Amino acid sequence: MLLGVVLSLYHFFLYIQDDFDYTVCCKGMYMEYRETVSFVLNGIERKLETKRAWTLLYVLREVYQLTGTKYGCGTGDCGACRVLIDNVAVNACSVPIHKVDGKTVLTIEGVAGDPQLSIIQQAFVEAHAIQCGFCTPGMVISAAGLLLHISEPTEKEIREALKDNLCRCTGYVHIIEAVKLASNKMKEVEDGH
Amino acid sequence: MGIDNSHDTVGCSPYNRESWDKVTGNTQYIDDLRFKGMLHAALLLSPHAHARIKSIDVSDALALDGVHAVIHCFTTPNILYNSAIRFYSDIDPSEMPCTERVFDQEVKFVGDRVAAVAAESEETARTAVKLIHVEYELLPSVYSLDEAVADAAVQATPFGISKTNLCGGWVAYGNQDEASVLQTIKQSPLQSVSTFRTSRVHHGYLEPVAHVAHYTPSKKLTLWTSSQSVFSFRDVLAQLVGLPQNAVRIIKTVSGGAFGGKLEVMHEPVVALLSMQTMRPVKIRLNRKEVFSSTRTRHEAIITLSSGYASNGRLIAQHVYSLLNTGAYAGSGPNTVGAQSGKTFVQYDAEAMYYRGACFYTNTPIAGAMRGYGCPQLMVAREVHMDGIARKLGIDPVQFRLQNLLLPDAKNCMGKPTHQALGRVCLEEGAKQFCWEERRKQAIAKSSGTTRYGIGVGTAVHGSGWYSVYQDMTSVTMMMNNDGSLQILTGIHDLGTGAKTVLAQIAAQTLHIPLDTIEVIEVDTAVSPLDLGAQASRSTYVGGNCVLECAQQIKEQLLEEASLMVGIDEQQFALGDGDVIEMVSGKRISFASIIDSAQKGLHGKQRQIAAVHSYASHTSVYSYSAVFAEVAIDVESGAIKVMEILCVHNSGTIINPAQCEGQVHGGVQMGLGYALSEEMEIDLETGRIKNPSFKGYHMFRSHQMPKISVTFIQGAEPSGPYGAKGIGECATDGVAGAVVNAVAHALGGVSIDHIPVHATYVKELLTQNYRVQ
Ligand code: FES
Ligand code: FES
Repeated sequence: MLLGVVLSLYHFFLYIQDDFDYTVCCKGMYMEYRETVSFVLNGIERKLETKRAWTLLYVLREVYQLTGTKYGCGTGDCGACRVLIDNVAVNACSVPIHKVDGKTVLTIEGVAGDPQLSIIQQAFVEAHAIQCGFCTPGMVISAAGLLLHISEPTEKEIREALKDNLCRCTGYVHIIEAVKLASNKMKEVEDGH
Repeated sequence: MGIDNSHDTVGCSPYNRESWDKVTGNTQYIDDLRFKGMLHAALLLSPHAHARIKSIDVSDALALDGVHAVIHCFTTPNILYNSAIRFYSDIDPSEMPCTERVFDQEVKFVGDRVAAVAAESEETARTAVKLIHVEYELLPSVYSLDEAVADAAVQATPFGISKTNLCGGWVAYGNQDEASVLQTIKQSPLQSVSTFRTSRVHHGYLEPVAHVAHYTPSKKLTLWTSSQSVFSFRDVLAQLVGLPQNAVRIIKTVSGGAFGGKLEVMHEPVVALLSMQTMRPVKIRLNRKEVFSSTRTRHEAIITLSSGYASNGRLIAQHVYSLLNTGAYAGSGPNTVGAQSGKTFVQYDAEAMYYRGACFYTNTPIAGAMRGYGCPQLMVAREVHMDGIARKLGIDPVQFRLQNLLLPDAKNCMGKPTHQALGRVCLEEGAKQFCWEERRKQAIAKSSGTTRYGIGVGTAVHGSGWYSVYQDMTSVTMMMNNDGSLQILTGIHDLGTGAKTVLAQIAAQTLHIPLDTIEVIEVDTAVSPLDLGAQASRSTYVGGNCVLECAQQIKEQLLEEASLMVGIDEQQFALGDGDVIEMVSGKRISFASIIDSAQKGLHGKQRQIAAVHSYASHTSVYSYSAVFAEVAIDVESGAIKVMEILCVHNSGTIINPAQCEGQVHGGVQMGLGYALSEEMEIDLETGRIKNPSFKGYHMFRSHQMPKISVTFIQGAEPSGPYGAKGIGECATDGVAGAVVNAVAHALGGVSIDHIPVHATYVKELLTQNYRVQ
């Protein structure tokens, strides 16, 4: 009985949560405010005047036209919008823009320009880890977040690092292989092979 | 003879041709397209499961700054259509009932379209939607399939046959009449009857549904959508907006996952009408909650199987009785029943078999095409039923199936040829690789404390293309470029599975040219030749055959021109590495010089080396699989962990093994969710979906996935391109059966009667089991 009440409250919460949306983080917070946010985006210093509590995802896609970062759910549940903030993988749809003030943001477009991290992209191609590709940018970012901290992760660590990224096409198998391959390749580069 | 085979690509695994753009974030999916002056649309979706709209007041919405248009049932065409048509003439009311309108005055489920707004931004459009005032008259509604099929049920829609909820009609046939089949079952030495329920699940593609429409003053409509079937979309759209088909252009964008979920027209007519009203490009992108409520789902099913068999395990007769929930509209419901019916006769052998099935309307989200198209429901129900029989007889489930699966190069009970029916080989090979017998025993032995282990098996079968259930065809255009490279225009829709890569491989193999000199240009109704869409696991088999035959025509043209150029008989040539080679002398003539000769008419008729080819499939071939699963169950919590999955597939020759394996992996992920975790829960008080988010709807994540092994049994199918058959749907059809049977094994042979098997159900089953003991 109690369980039922808790469950239906939970479901009610799930039902109303579309008020978390693409543009702004908290729809309820309708106040207009002005804030200047300074951050480094893919190696370039940016200063942005924000009028609303925009999500980082909205800013990336609509202000800077960096559409490689995807909107998959807008509720922090799929990982399609992952970016690195100060080398940590986070869901951009759940980050209000003012939270990145003073920080460094790297998107999938930035990964391509990074000689070390672009090895991950090469590995994804070689391991056949890409089907529809909608999850791919987020997956690469999560892999980057992992490999920047643990250069030779175990399979378990890889699976854990990817658990916030949904993929409906690959069953994750080739993606996990891609991360292992990337780790090996990065090691080879480091060892100067 | 100096023939160069270095461009043999069939059986190799070149990378998916779209990989680099995708992995660098360069691929433009529909949500990434930007147009000057583009407006954003948002939908007002019905909060009621069944109601008649009495009035709509849009004045407040229109008054909002930035709003350009609001449309609803009182301002849009009142035309009935079916969103799932394939051929233009698909209007048979028993197969394709027309039940949908762009906006209907009678809303039929929570999430049905009520109105739409076009505004300067998505946020403004969504705000405006909240300012639309609608007066509803509530109507009685029905949500569950059981209630919908009952006598004197509430009618979910006005379209049910004879005031019931029956949609389309019954599909009922067998190799004997129904009464005789039932009689044979009754007279068999032993009988089993079981009823199994499968839940409504969602495709869960990562790319939310989105469309962009642009209508211009020259009275032309262009629509970008992540569609699986642009030509039928064009046919529906043209009719709804009142334009000839030449004035409606549908462009397929790169698919961010579809699995059948983007096969049917969804909100495309809405953006088209908004664009026609505003003369601006209009885009809609659903949020995830809307994707769950207002797109398509898999048909919920209740399937009863009755079998008669001998004590030695030989199946004598089987009867399938299947009820599907089509939701609020017909869409592909009756077709799904039809496709399901066909699978009854192509898996197991018996003297007598009969299928009876139908779909029913309810006031719930629309069911539609989803990977498997009626097959996963039947396969899981049947495989659980078959295990039940094996258990009753005390026969090993693998042995029991081996006794009854169809033989290759034989005839099934309907008298149809079984072709390369290698289901038995898949099963035998899988049993060997999985160490079936030992592990079956070990599972019981190693169960201790609170952990129970179980091993299970499930088989499946799936067609490659529509034939013979329906007509099937596709067309391809090929044009040689001046440098000897090749353009292929195809209507085959690549959904991310690498169809374009496979077609390029087939063309490369046929013309002996490098893969990177082939461009495959995907679907656009203004450019591509006709195709029936990405469905029925047909892309490789039907599309591949078409590409193969078209490439052969190009080859003939090249040889003919070469023969004119050097005055040697065509038979004396071979192709190699982008050249035509004189077999005797080894002299090479480049494709480029042959093309030049043809274009200038230097030796024969002045022409372009190009071909248009239609391929009609007239063979119904099937792909087969056997799936093996091991599960571990914690009896205290009821939690099930899938430890390992082995999939053995027969899909003929595998053109691109890595890609094919990747599809199987994905099929496993979908099948595991179907068996254990995924379910769109409908509130039976309100008709609302209780869990319309990825938080509440549980798809398997990386840390929950088992170890997966994949083996292909490669018997070349004579009618397939280089021997290939389809894989897409077969990849998921057999998974749930294997997992459920493994769970039943772990729990000491309990009867499981529905999926998903949640932890709570496991605990129920445990008490059942202990009671039995
Ligand atoms: S879009 Fe951010 S987690 Fe899904
Ligand atoms: S490749 Fe399609 S969702 Fe991962």
